Amino acid sequence: MRRKLLATFVLLWCIAVQVHAQTRVVSGKVTDKTTGAPIPGVSVIISGTRTSTQTDRTGAFTLAVPADGAKNLRLSFVGYVTKIVPITGNSLSIILEEDAAVLDEIVVNGYSTQKKADVIGSVSSVTAKQLENKPVQSFDQALGGKAAGVQVTLPNGVLNNPPVIRIRGTNSISLSSSPLFVVDGVATYSGDASGSSAAGNALASINPNDIERVEILKDAAASAIYGSRAANGVIVITTKRGKPGKAVVTYDAWVGTTKARNLPELLDAYQYVELKNEGLRNAGLFNQATRSFNLQNDAAGNVINTNWYDYIYRTAYSHSNTIGVSGGTESTNYYLSAGYTKQEGIIQHNDYTRKSMLAKVDHKEGKIFAFGGKLQYSNEQNLAATSSGSLSGEAFGTGGLGRLAIVTAPNVAPKNADGTYNIFNATTIGRGANVGSDVGFYNPAAVLDLDRSNNELNHIQGSVYLQANITDWLYAKSVYGVDYIFSDNDSFFNPINGGSAASGGSASASFSKNKRWVWTNTAQATKTFGEHNFSLLVGNEQTRSTVNGFNASRTTLSDPAFNSFAAGYATPTAGGTVGENYLVSFFGSLNYNYAKRYYLTANVRQDQYSAFGADNKKGTFYGVGLKWEIANEKFWTKAGLDKTFSSFSLRGTYGTVGNTAGLGNLASYSFYGTGLYNGSPTLVPTQTGNDQIGWEESKKLDLGINFGILNDRITVEAAYYKNTLDGLIYSVPQIPSAGLPSEPSLNIASMYNKGYELTISGDAFRGKDFSWSPSFNISYNKNEITSLSEGITQFLTTTSSLESASISQVGGPLGMIYVVRTAGVDAASGRRIFIEKSTGKKVLYQQVAPAGQFRYTYEDGTEAKNGISLANDASPYKNTQPKFSGGFDNTFRYKQFDLGLTFTYQLGFSIYYGTNSGLRDQRFWNNSTDMLRRWTTPGQETDIPKIVNGDNVSNGSSFPIDVNVFKGDFLKLRSASLGYTLPVSFVSKAKIANARIYVSGNNLLIFTKYPGSDPEVSSNGNSNSAAGVERNSVGNGRAFTAGISVKF
Amino acid sequence: MKKRLIYITLIAAGMLAGCQKELLTPASETAVATLDLAQFSTVLRVQGQVLGLYAGLRAGDFYGGRYPVYNELRADNYIAQSSNSVTAYQTYMYTLGNGAQEVTGFWGSAYNTINRCNLFIEGMAAKGTGVVGDAVGKNYVAEAKLVRAICYYSLLQLYARPFYDGQGSKPGLPLRLTGNSVAGNYDLARSTVAQVYTQVLKDLNEAETDLPLTYTTAVNNTIRAHRNTAIAFKTRVYLSMQRYTDVITEANKIVSTAGPFTATTGVAHALQADITNVFKTPYTTTESILSMPFVNGTENAGGQSAIGSYFFGTKLYSLNPDGIIGDATFKAADKRRSFITLSGGLPYMSKFPTLPAANFADYVPVIRYAEVLLSLGEALARSTNSVDAKALALLNAVRTRSDATTVFTAASFATPSAFFDAFVKERNIEFLGEGLRTPDILRLGLTFPARGGVAAVPPTSSQYIWPISGTELLYNKLMTDNTN
Repeated sequence: MRRKLLATFVLLWCIAVQVHAQTRVVSGKVTDKTTGAPIPGVSVIISGTRTSTQTDRTGAFTLAVPADGAKNLRLSFVGYVTKIVPITGNSLSIILEEDAAVLDEIVVNGYSTQKKADVIGSVSSVTAKQLENKPVQSFDQALGGKAAGVQVTLPNGVLNNPPVIRIRGTNSISLSSSPLFVVDGVATYSGDASGSSAAGNALASINPNDIERVEILKDAAASAIYGSRAANGVIVITTKRGKPGKAVVTYDAWVGTTKARNLPELLDAYQYVELKNEGLRNAGLFNQATRSFNLQNDAAGNVINTNWYDYIYRTAYSHSNTIGVSGGTESTNYYLSAGYTKQEGIIQHNDYTRKSMLAKVDHKEGKIFAFGGKLQYSNEQNLAATSSGSLSGEAFGTGGLGRLAIVTAPNVAPKNADGTYNIFNATTIGRGANVGSDVGFYNPAAVLDLDRSNNELNHIQGSVYLQANITDWLYAKSVYGVDYIFSDNDSFFNPINGGSAASGGSASASFSKNKRWVWTNTAQATKTFGEHNFSLLVGNEQTRSTVNGFNASRTTLSDPAFNSFAAGYATPTAGGTVGENYLVSFFGSLNYNYAKRYYLTANVRQDQYSAFGADNKKGTFYGVGLKWEIANEKFWTKAGLDKTFSSFSLRGTYGTVGNTAGLGNLASYSFYGTGLYNGSPTLVPTQTGNDQIGWEESKKLDLGINFGILNDRITVEAAYYKNTLDGLIYSVPQIPSAGLPSEPSLNIASMYNKGYELTISGDAFRGKDFSWSPSFNISYNKNEITSLSEGITQFLTTTSSLESASISQVGGPLGMIYVVRTAGVDAASGRRIFIEKSTGKKVLYQQVAPAGQFRYTYEDGTEAKNGISLANDASPYKNTQPKFSGGFDNTFRYKQFDLGLTFTYQLGFSIYYGTNSGLRDQRFWNNSTDMLRRWTTPGQETDIPKIVNGDNVSNGSSFPIDVNVFKGDFLKLRSASLGYTLPVSFVSKAKIANARIYVSGNNLLIFTKYPGSDPEVSSNGNSNSAAGVERNSVGNGRAFTAGISVKF
Repeated sequence: MKKRLIYITLIAAGMLAGCQKELLTPASETAVATLDLAQFSTVLRVQGQVLGLYAGLRAGDFYGGRYPVYNELRADNYIAQSSNSVTAYQTYMYTLGNGAQEVTGFWGSAYNTINRCNLFIEGMAAKGTGVVGDAVGKNYVAEAKLVRAICYYSLLQLYARPFYDGQGSKPGLPLRLTGNSVAGNYDLARSTVAQVYTQVLKDLNEAETDLPLTYTTAVNNTIRAHRNTAIAFKTRVYLSMQRYTDVITEANKIVSTAGPFTATTGVAHALQADITNVFKTPYTTTESILSMPFVNGTENAGGQSAIGSYFFGTKLYSLNPDGIIGDATFKAADKRRSFITLSGGLPYMSKFPTLPAANFADYVPVIRYAEVLLSLGEALARSTNSVDAKALALLNAVRTRSDATTVFTAASFATPSAFFDAFVKERNIEFLGEGLRTPDILRLGLTFPARGGVAAVPPTSSQYIWPISGTELLYNKLMTDNTN
């Protein structure tokens, strides 16, 4: 019997094979190229047949091969490059190479794949190994330092908060500067999908262990295929798929612990009482009976000395488990993985749980059709007791846990002797033995124990595709994908103490249904005519997103025993949200090269977007690039340069792309909105529209040199870029007396980012037993606003609507720190010295002015009539955007041991450490131990002014001062892992193919002069113009994990 | 066979793919877009806009609390118990700068409401009147004019020198009478005080002509403008201009010739026998000519803007014992003393007693009948320079309904001037907490008395009125700040 099968696979094989009755036996042994260790479980197939076997635990196999016709064996194993070897002789010795090397050569842009050597645009790749098994909630948290020009910042220690990602600088003022994320060809939701005080990163639905690779498209040539959404760069995620061969089962697990690090040192009860009373005396307010701070004993007779950190922070425990099975035949492959992770945050009750599953199937039917799809589902619980005070907008919340930990007096206890909560009234903690003053805001124990602010996300991402390979050079493909996030929020504020206690407790529930479908149809032709290689892709895509939601809150609990939303309450209120947008696009991409020497790429995309104004619905975007691979020139070889440079290319790209992220769905319309007037409906102007509104435009220039030395053992990529941003949306302030309902958004501002990037990677040392593969990257970026709007030269950005510590000016970068300048402390009087901006004169401040004196005086004692204020005396002080950022990745291998070290760094920027002003505030607030060196005696030289009760000016609470601005430069040992791969001889007894155990740490070391807990922390999350401001945030913890990865 | 499959696939993809044009122009499901003046397309929408004008007046920065609060705190009846600048401390201290929230907030709020009125008046002419009919359309436009007049009048009380100072020749306000709806260049210089007053009176006169005489419910007679509202407000405006004969002319339209004084046409305004009935549910007695309603739960007053929150709910300001409550002629038995509540040893003004739990849902009076009576009386006295008999009767009408033990006679006043002062004092007692004190001081050029460590502010002081909104000065190139 004869049977013929045809299979077309990516350049690797295309062979007709016959099966015959006569056979011979071939045996062989498969070993790892790097370690030389035998590889068990390798699938060995006679090419073109279904005859197969597997290597045993010694890496050996035997196979009956038809005597005639069988020419090749195909060996495949997950994590290794599939290899086809000719059957020569009866005993074969086969070496397999790990996959990473091959994967590096393929680059995915979301619509098609290219060999890395053929790529002209600026693309960075991150592979699975760099993202797996990290103590993070989402893969993007692990991207830091992995790619040049990609700055990843974790703005606080709240679990599952989205990192701030900036690709080649901050590229917007009013819209989002975050990149577009594309998962398996479907543009997905990103950002915080939670509606509660627990963060819920939409991207965390993807188990990082399911990711095969991540591509970061940085310039116009690479990203123009994403048109109006490409200005902030594009991050393309490809999940794993099955490979032909026997089923491989993988199991990955880790357990870990996380602890807060570097918390400010606070006064204890004794010091608190001493200093606060000193403040009262200095203010002339001390009166033991009516106004004093006092120690108090607990029931056992011990002095109450509460460290609130013990109640608010914790040692957190986490674990993660992923099990997967994958495999396939030549026509069908499959991948199924399930993950479960439960993680605790360093703040009490801040928990994260994810149950996730990914199933993928790819099938080829006959010569022409291919069909497949994936379904990914995750259920995530983002839990918190109450506000951490760390997410954007929360910095000054009186209930923020980051703030409560440092503000609450240490000489009061969380609970009374009878076990009830120690409270003074509905919103303040009990005063204990202190007289005449509050000693805190909410009782942290009460809100932590009784409140909740939880979020649950159900996230479904699925897609199906049908591909027709019409000829060997032309295919058409249709992909339909959905992305649904259902976000459920459940909050409760207790009726005893805290945010809703005054109104008898409250509960709220909200539900938001985000649904998106994306339908992409593409056709691609790839053809070679002699030395001319062409590839042309054309496509059409529609993206439709809708959101529907409702929310309800209920106040005044009928029975304090209950805390469910479903219990009885006096007052209900309810509301809803609705939104939609639609994007339709047509695009094309041409790639051409002549003899692998001269490369050309041209991409064009036309986008029509529903949010654009009626008169501006359609935009066309493009990117072009040229590359010259000099190493493939004959003269290069003739000159002998190929002995040094295995590759050497010059490239340049240019194009125009857009940004629409964050543009309101209906921003173009002028609206009248409804309300109530004594129960009857009202209709009033609510929005000033702009029917011309459109995308922000980014013109991207990119010039680069790439070369490889010693057969590409060392590769260097260097680039210069400039993003010229025009038509940036800015809410142009209108004359107030014009009476417009809102500031209209106009495409009016301009800015640029320019900089350099350098990446050097290689195998620094490669021996049989020892190897070291370092990869270093650094980028420099300069950001400058070139215009805002006619007559407008600057704007302030507030932190949580309260403090204006950030200013952006034409001619400068976004978000400079805006503070009043000071000149130390007057040694004679202990008073803070401010500098009056208009005169440059020194102005001394005293909180309480005795009769005949003034609060603000010049050095000569005359009154400074205007005092000191932010409006009159603040000036732009320091930049908050790092000039340099990057990472240094190292992998060491010694025999069975591997060691990975990832450093990240950011240099050349400052941080406004606003928390410090709170730590030195002379209201009842507890202080840092800095205050122990306060001024007390005339002539004393110190940096801390005399303490006077009520003084919120001298140390920067009332308005920001330069004292609290610090250099933010840091070098972090972001992660370190030490692994040991168990000897095959040992594990194979348990039928295990491969097993590795490891320990790792995250955020282990920080080298910085910044005195706050973490120089990455920012109160303003993803804000473009208020970065580098830290107010009452919870820092990132230090994590240790131990784990195991096993393959069967 | 295979070829056919390919073609079917391609054709199907080509047909289904492409573009769904209708999705590119989504319509809002929650707000009315202004294309084709859709906000005037139905009777309901036009009605909604009319009520929206009042909702503008009721904003937190305006009559929703802060405007009357500012007018109270600038004067002599309060002592700060908080130094929070968010809750008008700088107003209280006379330390406001151009950028203070009070200064920019009220300015913006009032002009926002003015623009609503302007857009409405224009839109009615273009479309709305056709939808609701001529008669109703006229009523509605008259309501808009009345609201606009209140806005301009109120702005004058804080941002411009009083009328007496140069007979209105001092800088007034940018006078905006056309609606603005898109970004643009809106530079506009200030008109004089007199020019703004002229517009206010023009609006009120036209409103008087076109407003309905009454509504069918007591609540609408209280929360919407009717003819008597326009007349009553004119008495206030003319009094501020010291045009006493005009006060008399207007007041006589709605005050009967003899007591008990009532309005004999339109809504039958009259003093309530017990003043406390005016300030409690349902807040809709005929004494309340115009009030701003609040509804607990659905239309809450703001925690940092409600009058009740300043004076009673959160007790930010206590009553000054040396202010009007310390006046011996304000007798203990006076019913109006029931609006003073002691708490922690300090007196607080409890005319607006609804607590935060019920979201400070007291109605805020804009104008009530007692004011018309006292304005008429004062105008009679001043215009005749005598202890006019009817003026005396009007003064007694207000005093004796709360304090039967005090009946003024002509002999009570040695001079006409003492009689004038009695009106000012009666207003101080009667309208305590209602925001009339500052306009009363300003219209007569009185000095703001010193209190609680805050120095007196004479009419010559730059602090006598507020500075102009800093953002207005920044963006309106023709705008000028207040100078002395």
